[in-house]
Amino acid sequence: MEKTIYNVVCTVCGCCCDDLEVKVKDGKIIDVKNACAVSLSKFQNYSNEERIVKPMIKENGEFKEYSFDEAIEKASKILAEAEYPLIYGLSLTSTEAVGKAVELAEVLGGVIDNTTSVCHGPSLIGVHDIGVVTCTLGEVKNRADLIIYWASNPVFSHPRHLARYTVFSKGKFRKERKERKLVVVDVRKTATAKLADMFIQVAPNQDYELLSALRMAVKGEEIYLDEVAGVPTSKIEELADLMISCEFGILFFGLGLTMSLGKSRNIDAALSLVRDLNERTKFLIMPMRGHYNVTGANEVIAWQTGYPFAVDFTQGYPRYNPGETTTIEILTRGECDAALIIGSDPAAHFPVSAVKHLMKIPVITVDPHKNATTLISTIVIPTAITGIESGGTIYRMDGVPLECKKLVEPPLGVKSDEEILTEILTNVKKFKE
Amino acid sequence: MSEILIKNGFVFDPLNNINGEKMDIAIKSGKIVEKVSSKAKVIDASHMIVMPGGVDIHSHIAGSKVNSGRVLRPEDHVKDYEVKTKVTRSGVGYSVPSTFTTGYRYAKMGYTTVFEPATPPLKTRHTHEELRDTPIIDKGCFPLLGNNWFIMEYLKEGKLEECAAYVSWLLNAVKGYAIKIVNPGGTEAWGWGKGISHLDEEVPYFNVTPREIVRWLCKINNILNLPHPIHIHTNNLGKPGNYVTTIETMDAVKDLSKNGKVSIHITHVQFNGFAGTSWLNLASGAPEIANYINKNTHVEIDIGQVIFSDTTTMTADGPFQYILYLLSREKWVNADVEAETGAGIVPFRYKKSNYVNAIQWGIGLELALLIKDPWKVHMTTDHPNGGPFTHYPKVIAWLMSKKARERIINKINKNAKRRLDLPGIDREYTPYEIAIITRAATAKSLGLKNKGHLGTGADADIAIYDLDYEKLNPSEDYKLIKKAFKQAAYTIKNGEIVAKNGEIVASPKGKIYWVNSKVSDDIQKVMLENLKTKFEEYYTVKMENYIINESYLHDSFMLNVQSEV
Amino acid sequence: MSELTLTLKKELIVPIDASIISPTNLAGKTVGEIENLELWRGNRKVKLNEVFHVEGKSEDEEENLIVRLIGDFSKARGLGFKMKKGTLIIDGNTGLRLGEKMKGGLIKVNGNAGSWLGSEMSGGTIEVEGGAGDFVGAGYRGGKEGMRGGKIVIKGKCGAEAGAWMSNGVIKIYGDSGIFPGMHMKGGTIFIKGNCEGRAGAEMKDGKIVILGHLPSVLPSFDIEEIRASVKVEEEKISGPFYLFTGDINEEGIGKLYVSVDSNSQLKFWEKFLESVI
Repeated sequence: MEKTIYNVVCTVCGCCCDDLEVKVKDGKIIDVKNACAVSLSKFQNYSNEERIVKPMIKENGEFKEYSFDEAIEKASKILAEAEYPLIYGLSLTSTEAVGKAVELAEVLGGVIDNTTSVCHGPSLIGVHDIGVVTCTLGEVKNRADLIIYWASNPVFSHPRHLARYTVFSKGKFRKERKERKLVVVDVRKTATAKLADMFIQVAPNQDYELLSALRMAVKGEEIYLDEVAGVPTSKIEELADLMISCEFGILFFGLGLTMSLGKSRNIDAALSLVRDLNERTKFLIMPMRGHYNVTGANEVIAWQTGYPFAVDFTQGYPRYNPGETTTIEILTRGECDAALIIGSDPAAHFPVSAVKHLMKIPVITVDPHKNATTLISTIVIPTAITGIESGGTIYRMDGVPLECKKLVEPPLGVKSDEEILTEILTNVKKFKE
Repeated sequence: MSEILIKNGFVFDPLNNINGEKMDIAIKSGKIVEKVSSKAKVIDASHMIVMPGGVDIHSHIAGSKVNSGRVLRPEDHVKDYEVKTKVTRSGVGYSVPSTFTTGYRYAKMGYTTVFEPATPPLKTRHTHEELRDTPIIDKGCFPLLGNNWFIMEYLKEGKLEECAAYVSWLLNAVKGYAIKIVNPGGTEAWGWGKGISHLDEEVPYFNVTPREIVRWLCKINNILNLPHPIHIHTNNLGKPGNYVTTIETMDAVKDLSKNGKVSIHITHVQFNGFAGTSWLNLASGAPEIANYINKNTHVEIDIGQVIFSDTTTMTADGPFQYILYLLSREKWVNADVEAETGAGIVPFRYKKSNYVNAIQWGIGLELALLIKDPWKVHMTTDHPNGGPFTHYPKVIAWLMSKKARERIINKINKNAKRRLDLPGIDREYTPYEIAIITRAATAKSLGLKNKGHLGTGADADIAIYDLDYEKLNPSEDYKLIKKAFKQAAYTIKNGEIVAKNGEIVASPKGKIYWVNSKVSDDIQKVMLENLKTKFEEYYTVKMENYIINESYLHDSFMLNVQSEV
Repeated sequence: MSELTLTLKKELIVPIDASIISPTNLAGKTVGEIENLELWRGNRKVKLNEVFHVEGKSEDEEENLIVRLIGDFSKARGLGFKMKKGTLIIDGNTGLRLGEKMKGGLIKVNGNAGSWLGSEMSGGTIEVEGGAGDFVGAGYRGGKEGMRGGKIVIKGKCGAEAGAWMSNGVIKIYGDSGIFPGMHMKGGTIFIKGNCEGRAGAEMKDGKIVILGHLPSVLPSFDIEEIRASVKVEEEKISGPFYLFTGDINEEGIGKLYVSVDSNSQLKFWEKFLESVI
């Protein structure tokens, strides 16, 4: 029996495109329409050889299959006994699951953190000091006549961003490409830069200087230097003019800004620039959130604890201090004694000093696929893939909440993140009594 | 379910005309009943006041902009946190508390129902997620419609019934409770960085005026028979001289009062009650506004009282929030929402020594004291805009005791003291009147038939305050009043004791109230056909994904409302 | 004068909240009482004597009490929290937030200090023999309030954002400084004897930064005002010559950035703008 499910919300990148059409036959996905190449790849490959379908516990260096209940019980015991447990990941799952993880962290007296701390954490830290002038993506589609991508290459990272929301989109007030200008600022001429009306090549790690000069130009202050960050001052002034004279401008920025020299202060400068521009025209800014629900994870952690990520519950209430309560730093200082990793692969991405510590402590990984982290784990629990095998709420990069659907059943015996976390929570509460 | 008998309390139940009578209240299975068996648990409320649980008609507790406020202010949270207990989750407080803390703190004050007054329809799923995580209290939310593209276009085309069907559909789709209007037309102008400064100025591109928008939505409210009148944050909020706009707005829908009912609720009027022409000569417009309200029956307000404290302002009035940023140079969040509305957030501190803040403080109280009929007045601080809701007991004390007011008046900016009428006002609210403005009137205004009163059949949402009515001299004992309302002796929700002397003893889930507006199938069909294409042109989501299923709310209370079309 | 010695019994694995350890909290208590005090070790509350050997004598007069800590305190957070008087000496490395919200007294570290050294302090002195991490004398996220008074002296190097949001007080770094010293500064003085990684005084509104070593570049949002022969740091006159820059213009700042002429030939081109400054 074949059926088509319409208006499916894609669970890959921060675009959260919600117009996918998925054809399902005999419990398997056989076709997907409207998906970009990256999304299509997920639909085609999510159940490949790397897929884990049975819980595993490491004994004498070898993984042995165990029942779901046994794995949960052992995992719960490890976490309940830990004095400084860490829960990390959580950007590739629903807000309902993340909410359970927050509750678990509180019961455990541990730290909960998500991939924000290695991604747009600096953006949130910038917001704490400056605020943020932003909007939803439809505002850009409908009104924007100037679009700037800074340190972001959406053609690769967010393939349908331009067509759905920016230069190639059709909005109420901007119906054609020629009604909009595209500017790209990057360290090299990326695929997105090739589409731009203006490309500015900034010297690596000098974005802060460029933003500082741009702020000067926007304020009408004279820049003495002939060149800043490898960009001729005349070009900087040209860009400033473009920004001041537009009707509605938007600055999208990516990891090139959050992770290069300056980090949260690069964002501080960008946020301040956009704020200053509002004295001349309508201008907004938006971080290009990567994962499909990294935004949602920040939202639910914030409404439940007051803080958007890196929350420490060890003393029975939420405490927050990025650099102190964030995952990489905790691991590098060798402080945590057990970890629960949900839908992330820190062993592959983290600095060596952090991974070294991860290998010394018991690690429980909840993931659909084998990866570097599952390899070093003590317990591995398979999970259903959100947006395909389980549903839930996710938040697009601009904070618009959407409900993703369950399209097919997960492999037999495999549960969703929310169910797994609920089980661990029940077990941990018993141990703690 | 269990039975409770509250004995010997001084009961204040204005909706049933009970004014301090010593009587018993019986509870069974979550409702108030005539009597209970001898097995009932007895609460000895001797020397205490018994009131229906508080009903807060306007408090920003959940949703996208509230959460942005939380993220904006980690420094606000460190000062004020709650450690977890066996019954309660941990959290943080002060001006933008986390959701669990919000529910607990309201319950501790004897409040049992709170409405989030401003949710952008596109993001209302977020509001519901947060309301689900707000324990104990019953709640609901008001979708923002005053800058909605579809509505403005229906208005331009004169399609009243089709627009009514659209509003009906939208309320159902996002599970909203009432029509909220913020800076009509102004927030849309702000989409281009512009503003609107009078009722008859045209909104760019849409070419309709705020006056037309307000009248239109008022008519639609009548057609749909919605339980609550249009709830409006008027144009020109925060501008000296804006009391004129407030009166004009009230007057604009005077002729639309249906069957003598209230046709407009104006919110946080303090912020829209400014006389004068600049910050230097700012004065209170409360006398003029009170004068109008005293002469008319179609208006009701909530005051939006200022508290001298650090707080966080947050509204859907994007342009106003920008002006506040320019004045204060504080950090500033702005979040415009496609085809619908906007939002702005700016931290702010109200100081006694500041002339403008002191006048503002006076305006809120003057409004409550000069409007004769307490049924037209609701007590709010527009949390957190005027101040955190945890300061409500202070406001109650100020209203009940001239002496309490004088204590503050003697500390505020001297020029403001001279300028305000407040020092010369002797009126003091009685406990009966406080019960009206904090529970009876608000519940009535919201059309919540089983709340805000203690008659049989009402929800057993009750607050017992440790105030000996017989011995109380409110004018003098304002400190006792503040203490009592800060921490209810007992808070009962749905017949279950949830708080006792400031401690949460049970944490049931509250319900989310929403209006299921019914229009005829024919008009619904036509409206949807016409809506579909435009919907996907204006928005960046599919119509199917915009709609929130009732099951999403977890515990919901659906109010069926039949419309006229 | 009395001295109390707290020796770490064994290596710390999970972090401890050491905010109870300061002369302010230990004065007027017997050794037995001190041993019974509780602190957080990860998510467990433990007695002090589970973590430390306590020896010596306390006394009633806080200002006459010396508390000496022996061991590797890299995982001890918040030592000397809100300290008012007395002396706290650490013979070893310390962890995060040493001297947070300090009001007075003296803290000496005979090793390296972690990040947030002297965060939000308003008085007192902190001396570090080794280096320190990021955010020396800075504030809490979003609070926009850094150090308000007091003095921090670091013989070694420090990390990024020293003196972020500071409004008063003195920070002296004898080694090299990381990036963004004086970020959002509002007042006070930062003295860097060694080299500075860059972006000194970014977004400052007021205050004084003096750099004797190498600073690769000065932000485009600074003006060059003049060349000064010397500059005063506290009461000491330090010989230059110094380029005096003012800024951050983007924040309408009137902060002063003094950069050594002799160590910074790459900044010579700024001199040509001296004539154009009115």
